[in-house]
Amino acid sequence: MLDKPEELMMYEYDAGVDKSRPGAVVFAQNTGQVAQIMTLATKHKIPVVPRGAGTGLSGGAIAKKEAIVLSLARMNKILDIDIPNQRAVVQPGVVNLELSNATAKHGYYYAPDPSSQKACTIGGNVAENSGGPHTLALGVTVNHVTGLEVVLPDGRVVRFGGKAQETTGLDLTGFFVGSEGTMGIVTEVTVKLTKLPEHVTTLLGIYNSVQDAANTVVAITQSGVTPAALEMLDGWMLRCVEENVHAGYPTDAAAVLLIELEGMTEVVEEAAEAVAAVCMQQNAREVRRARDEKQRQLLWLGRKTAFGAVGRVSPSYYTQDGVIPRTKVPATLAEIDRISKFYGLIIGNVFHAGDGNLHPLILFDARDPVQKENSKKAAKEIMACCLKYGGSITGEHGVGLEKMNLMPSMFTEEDLTVMIQLRNAYNPDSILNPQKMIPELHYCREISGPLPTAKVEPVAGLPV
Amino acid sequence: MSTLAASETIVRELGSIVGERNVTLDALAINGVTPTHVVAPASAEECAQVLAFANNSNLVVAPAGGMTKQDIGGVPERIDILLSTTRLCGIEHYDPGDLTIGVNAGMTFGEVQRTLGEHLQWLPYDAANLDHATVGGCVATGATGPLKHAFGGLRDFCIGVQFVTADGKVAKGGGRVVKNVAGYDLMKLMNGSFGTLAVITRAAFKVFPRPRQTRSFICKFKSLDEALQFRTKMFQSPLTFLSMELISPQGPEYLSEAREPNDPDHYAPSAPVSLKPTTWQVALRATGSDNVLARYQRDLGSVVTLQLDGADEERFWKNVACFEQNVLGRHRNALVVYTHLAIQNVGPALHALERVATDYNFIPAVVGRAATGNLVIALLPLSVDPPSAMQYANCVSAYRGMLPQGSSAEVAHCPVEAKGHFDIWGTSTSDITMMRAVKNAIDPKNILNRGRFII
Repeated sequence: MLDKPEELMMYEYDAGVDKSRPGAVVFAQNTGQVAQIMTLATKHKIPVVPRGAGTGLSGGAIAKKEAIVLSLARMNKILDIDIPNQRAVVQPGVVNLELSNATAKHGYYYAPDPSSQKACTIGGNVAENSGGPHTLALGVTVNHVTGLEVVLPDGRVVRFGGKAQETTGLDLTGFFVGSEGTMGIVTEVTVKLTKLPEHVTTLLGIYNSVQDAANTVVAITQSGVTPAALEMLDGWMLRCVEENVHAGYPTDAAAVLLIELEGMTEVVEEAAEAVAAVCMQQNAREVRRARDEKQRQLLWLGRKTAFGAVGRVSPSYYTQDGVIPRTKVPATLAEIDRISKFYGLIIGNVFHAGDGNLHPLILFDARDPVQKENSKKAAKEIMACCLKYGGSITGEHGVGLEKMNLMPSMFTEEDLTVMIQLRNAYNPDSILNPQKMIPELHYCREISGPLPTAKVEPVAGLPV
Repeated sequence: MSTLAASETIVRELGSIVGERNVTLDALAINGVTPTHVVAPASAEECAQVLAFANNSNLVVAPAGGMTKQDIGGVPERIDILLSTTRLCGIEHYDPGDLTIGVNAGMTFGEVQRTLGEHLQWLPYDAANLDHATVGGCVATGATGPLKHAFGGLRDFCIGVQFVTADGKVAKGGGRVVKNVAGYDLMKLMNGSFGTLAVITRAAFKVFPRPRQTRSFICKFKSLDEALQFRTKMFQSPLTFLSMELISPQGPEYLSEAREPNDPDHYAPSAPVSLKPTTWQVALRATGSDNVLARYQRDLGSVVTLQLDGADEERFWKNVACFEQNVLGRHRNALVVYTHLAIQNVGPALHALERVATDYNFIPAVVGRAATGNLVIALLPLSVDPPSAMQYANCVSAYRGMLPQGSSAEVAHCPVEAKGHFDIWGTSTSDITMMRAVKNAIDPKNILNRGRFII
């Protein structure tokens, strides 16, 4: 347990924008301890905020001073790797990539791959229903979780599902995933393991125009090919990333598409040709294909460290997580460009284009109050644009504290009432992660704090 | 609520909401219980008014789509209102470039597939009877078909849902984009909730490019264990299949449409057999170019006894999906049990089934998703001894008792007379108190499908 101010400082932020110092931090070692802590907390009406690695981008793990942070980071054992059943059972503190590394020797991996996968925990992934570049073909966390052990706010320990893919009755496993720590604390997770693909190849489509790249995204998804990942970086991001990792990205391009294809060798080879042809039809300047595994890893390193690269250029940036229907990618990018020019702020774009999940990064100087104010206005306009096109305010980062005040623009009062009624079935006194996800207050935000550092390196042969 | 005067009041009230023409008094019985009133609202708002009225008047409501799965579940004490979604039809949004579609709940799934097919797209979903089953009904029952192997169930690609709660709130979860974590995942909650939490009025799905060509490979084995070894080898191989279905020795008899019901209602093979059939089959479906399919052929080698494509292939998979229906078309007294298992527990469960069937005078026939662990098990009554209600109850209890831990077995069909004698739904691996807490949170008066589901 930590309760000294200098120790608590470490726990006053996550990778998002909000900041608050908790009253204390408690590290649980097992389910029994979590249950005891929750029983006490409920008895004394002390709010509890569960926390994994603190890599979340929406303030989900931020606690107020009257609250305690319950860290699951020390419950980090892989309990069972069951290859014949294609399942693994893990404690919530297991790092995402650690699980893939542990199963790679059996020819399997854990498919959801958030950019922070070297540091983020499976428990946190369950809370946020995390995505990642490879969710385009394989789905997000909820598609890969079959069982949970959960400690409810009153200290009861319950189980949802198990190793079987379905069970009789309500799908409480699926319902729990993505509940952002407002329903219970996950103490054990049963996940599906995915067979490593026989063959993987990565293409880099290079464009002189952002619109052409955006049009390609629509054309590829219409061509009948479903890539494993389809990512886009705009020209500004490219230059920023290239300076950082020297991945060989063309720094004079307006945009690139990073397209990964995986599966049976024959399927991948055919798809690679088809996709390259589509890119060229959509006015790509050039389509490159990673020559070997080393080059492929390098291309992906650029993508996965993009946020960090931006951090070097600008001390403050504000990451958005809007989603739009795929056909609206070109129009939305044009709109973001307009917003960028209007406020005189650089907005870099690096995102899951295949899913229509945008991550515009708004750069600003936090010392300049005008810029700070304008960054918020720009963010609001981008979100308004996503909603106008029938999109969502968050594709994978969660609502947390950050986007709570945007919820009413997406959901009606009746929608939110039903959600609160359901939350109350689990967490009636709102002891657990209070004032998150479902709006109660308005928050303003500021940018701070470094990204968590990597703990786990990928082993050879894993898709990155 | 049984008096004539009360009924007249209900008809008047419902008529004032949906129009007199859309309130009727003749309904098909569900598990022997005839709904007193049938109402068909034309919008979510009308549906909300109907439910608010029912909730205030303590009337029990059963939501209904194409009536293809209404027999599942317990015998309700009464059904005051059958709420039909048939007038909630039409597509709400569909732009092929977005690869998403939103449809109203009363539209049949077949119609949705036809619309998508025009753009070479589909929902990789092949549960039974999709020409009659509605979108709302498919979501509510969580039914799946052989394509579950590669694509999962509707739960895995339902991206938005609109529904009406018991007290008449029109609410939604998700939206119309493929990736979305704003708010709770109410799609998962509605999927398989059997109309007990809310009336689903609209759903949105992620759609997929339709495979340009497919081919199926039928492989035969002398024993269950050999078939399952092959299955494990296949799902661990680089080959990726759309479907991987296990078919028991008696299974093929039910892979064709029933012409007429058996009378008397007992197991009677179409051709006299001197020896009990013992061949287990694994049916594999693959997609790809000629070149890719050639690879499948090469890698599978001599284990394949039959290859199917074109119309024959379509018919085969449709019959696999309709296995349960094909059984019930012949044996109205068959016992059908959906069994959910960890993948490697398929073998132990089926060995248990063989023993239980013999003990209780049934013949077992099985099809199922061999590599996801979801089986459709049919137990056909034998002629020597028409089973009593208790025999169904005892058979199910014995079977459940022999299943490996972590399995669940729900009875999808058995004679109504037997239903009072045992637990239709059985034990879930998910916490039942939390299921009830969820139900109580949004339907505290329990007006939706009272007495029919596990909650």
